[in-house]
Amino acid sequence: MTGKDAEAKARPGVALDAQAALALLATMWRIRVFEERVGVLKRADEVYGLMHLSVGQEGVAAAICSQLDVADSVYSGHRAHGHAIAKGAPLNRIMAELMGRSDGLCRGFGGSMHLVDVEHGLMGATGVVGGNIPLALGSALATRLRGGKEVAVVFFGDGAVQAGHFNESINLASLWGLPVILVCENNGFAEFTPRSAHTNVERVSDVVAPYGLMRETVDGNDVAAVWEAFGRFLELARRGEGPLLLECLTYRLRGHYEGDPTQYREALAATEWQQRDPITRLARHGTAAGWFDAEDLERAEREARTEVEAAVGFARLSPYPDVELLEELVYAGRRKP
Amino acid sequence: MARELPYIVAINEAIEFEMARDERVLYFGQNIATPSALEPFMDAFGGDRVRLTPISETAEIGMAVGAALAGLRPVVELYMSEFLLVAMDQVVNEAPRFHAMSGGQVKVPLVLKAGYGFTAGWAGQHTGSIYGMFMGVPGLKIALPSTAADAKGLMATSIRDDNPVCFFYHILLTLEHGEVPEGEYLVPFGVADVRRTGGDVTIVATGWMVDRALAAAERLAADGVEVEVIDPRTLAPLDTATILESVAKTGHLVLVDQATRHGGASAIIAAEVADQGFDSLRGPIKQITALDATIPYSEPMERFVIPDEDKIVAGVHEVLGSAPVAAKA
Amino acid sequence: MSSDQEAHGLDKDRLSWMFKQMVRIREFEERVKNTFEEHPGAIRGHTHLADGAEASIVGSLATLRGGDQVLATYRCHGYPLALGSDANAMMAEIYGKKTGICGGYGGSMHLVDVDRGFLGTSGIVGAGIPHATGAAWAAQIRKQGQVVLCFFGDGASKQGAFAESLNIASLWKLPIVFVMENNSYNVVTRVEQEDANAAAGEPLAIKAKAFSMPGVTIDGGDPIEVHGVVGAAVERARSGEGPTLVESKVYRLSAHGNIIAPPGIPLHYPEHEAIAVFGAPEEYEAALRGDPVPRFRARLIGEGTISAEEADEIAATVRQEMQAAVDFAWESQLPDAAEALNHVYA
Repeated sequence: MTGKDAEAKARPGVALDAQAALALLATMWRIRVFEERVGVLKRADEVYGLMHLSVGQEGVAAAICSQLDVADSVYSGHRAHGHAIAKGAPLNRIMAELMGRSDGLCRGFGGSMHLVDVEHGLMGATGVVGGNIPLALGSALATRLRGGKEVAVVFFGDGAVQAGHFNESINLASLWGLPVILVCENNGFAEFTPRSAHTNVERVSDVVAPYGLMRETVDGNDVAAVWEAFGRFLELARRGEGPLLLECLTYRLRGHYEGDPTQYREALAATEWQQRDPITRLARHGTAAGWFDAEDLERAEREARTEVEAAVGFARLSPYPDVELLEELVYAGRRKP
Repeated sequence: MARELPYIVAINEAIEFEMARDERVLYFGQNIATPSALEPFMDAFGGDRVRLTPISETAEIGMAVGAALAGLRPVVELYMSEFLLVAMDQVVNEAPRFHAMSGGQVKVPLVLKAGYGFTAGWAGQHTGSIYGMFMGVPGLKIALPSTAADAKGLMATSIRDDNPVCFFYHILLTLEHGEVPEGEYLVPFGVADVRRTGGDVTIVATGWMVDRALAAAERLAADGVEVEVIDPRTLAPLDTATILESVAKTGHLVLVDQATRHGGASAIIAAEVADQGFDSLRGPIKQITALDATIPYSEPMERFVIPDEDKIVAGVHEVLGSAPVAAKA
Repeated sequence: MSSDQEAHGLDKDRLSWMFKQMVRIREFEERVKNTFEEHPGAIRGHTHLADGAEASIVGSLATLRGGDQVLATYRCHGYPLALGSDANAMMAEIYGKKTGICGGYGGSMHLVDVDRGFLGTSGIVGAGIPHATGAAWAAQIRKQGQVVLCFFGDGASKQGAFAESLNIASLWKLPIVFVMENNSYNVVTRVEQEDANAAAGEPLAIKAKAFSMPGVTIDGGDPIEVHGVVGAAVERARSGEGPTLVESKVYRLSAHGNIIAPPGIPLHYPEHEAIAVFGAPEEYEAALRGDPVPRFRARLIGEGTISAEEADEIAATVRQEMQAAVDFAWESQLPDAAEALNHVYA
């Protein structure tokens, strides 16, 4: 199957240009500021439950979701805020969901780990590791049956790869040639433990090697590289080809969840990765290419801060949901007229 | 000598004691809360018997079955009870079946240690009180400690039991302190604990609800209602005798459980009392349970779904036909 | 006798023993199959036969030594026979009798003989793989050089339990050999209909790569080849170098199992799926021509290891043994109904 692999690589993707790069920068800042703000809100107990933040992983969400159409399906997991933002879910409603308010994406029912925004193609986020992978296969199958061009993209971490349902899904996706793009955000940690404690196989793209799907490993903190590789994959998937696996090597700049003492993290590695911050890197790259200047950069950050602050204000004013909502949500088909 | 310990430390103490006592005991799972929590076990018992696993629940529980068949006594840390559901086949259709299917030739002593009931904003997939569904699995035992002492004693008994045991610990209780005996301490299975005696009404409460029921009983006592509070401590085996005895005395039964109303421990206990103790009852059995809904994220809805002290007090007044204090005044 | 055989310690006695075990398995399975006519109604539920896999089973088990352990699937009659379990008690179990090896609690799918290292089987596809992996962990901890053989079918390799277990076994270097008996059929589905590797024309042993584990495909119809390859994997496992995936290609000569029918409808073995479902009698006939039992008999006689008379004598002895097993099973008492609750808890 190395032939198929080579084919995917030879096909040129759409190179990143000034306009797209600036849009990516804006998205990454919105995610970064949003996540940092959630961290603060968590310490103030304004958001409820467990918060898994994606600071440091913004590049993957931005470069991938920004190339998708609204009708394309995205499935995420417990670390979903970045994917939701990049896929176009309104910040106001994400923040309201995190505060458990009635204007939240899921009307306060789902919370951080279960963000869904069907209107923007965010089809679901599951709190059980790898549980979203077979779901994305189902979406891809539905698209094929309907003869559509939509693709299904599923984000998961490297920890999910050791779960049995990952292998079950890979076999089926490969056997049926489903147009699904599996995006593994390999941050080197499954929850709290390093990948080496979970498997002998360092690269996720090697785990799927026996199944012959098109696969590539990229530096997930190099936004231009993710953009370019995903663009190629997307074109293939649009033509009904698949499955494809894009492994993005990345790094969480925060613990597994907010408040996680992160003792398991080697401080040195963290410092090193801080320098690999995807936002800083794109800013450097784009400035050198003449795509944007200091003012553009400053504006992207400023606008993100304004927007996130507005979302916090919006969420704080949103009422808590009425408990009657519960009855409506136990079974489908009971929505009140 | 007893000292004050948090519930979670009491559980760890039992595992540590049993591992030191019996080298067949293993402890493994994902993360085991955090690697720093695992380290003392690693240091004490070495990497053969204490191991970190990948996120592979079917293999973790299945390997525990195999290691048990081969003569060891594994304790699997599941972290969240919902992760049992990922490996439902192993929990329901493998571990408890081998002893019976082999005509008693083999036994499968293992402990599935799973946290539950995390109703603190964990939303739909990490808050379930799912122990009731396992009551219908012959061969599987279910321990559900509500105090730090019981947590230690039931864990030790779970490890020494020759059968697969689901040990459900309540995540909201983990840091609650209680008196815990030092050294070897065993709490027998199938022996309910009468936590408060009273002649007017029997409350059977489980897990986190035991403290809520005791607080409600305190309030009711101020109204002159004497409540007997029973904690079954293990759901399988279930000490129906103690419950029937109490109902014979009080004539009234209120069941308090954080799980759903249907298919749960409360429904099963209600059925047993209706079946075996109907003549003792002087009124309908009342179930104060979570509503049959996925636990919502948002705090007001979450509170609405699960039982609390007020709901228990109201339930007791309802079965006794007595008006609440506010109405009396 | 070839130098290859001598290299693996397969002297005349050992080869003759292997042949006898293969004949015992075949005869036992024939008798089970025949029961549906001989003693209609005596066997309830589902049976699964190992005919066609005898060379793979015996070649693999012949590599073990005392203390090693075996876990397998619901197609489990062959292993305990070769490990030395009493054919009478095994047949009685399948007849549901009190004298059965599990007292009538397990039946055909759940044979157990702990004393001979046969720790048990699961009726759920793939579920036994983690059990075997766990037993291998126990062996690693005991440090007595024990090895575990884990048998399963090709269908099980699509179960999550397979991937999870092989990953952990590789990561922890467990003393286990995973023997996948690829019989090309998952009940009535052909392997290339449900396996991406088979569909791409690749051997299933390639799956081992995902776990950084050696994977090898062998002719499961040749007990000497099986013995050599599984033996090397067993030695590798015993020396602490970790697990191996062996894909042993076999052809099951009977249908997946007897028909599944409500009580009252006589049970029987239907025609093999190659004929009944896929309309490919030539495939089945070719498989019959490659039947490992006569193939091994011809080889042993051809190489002068045993004579035709000795082979016939073995067959005659085995026929008597299995006739006695059927008689024993038929004449044994059913368990008392009240014994049903004897083993709810250990």
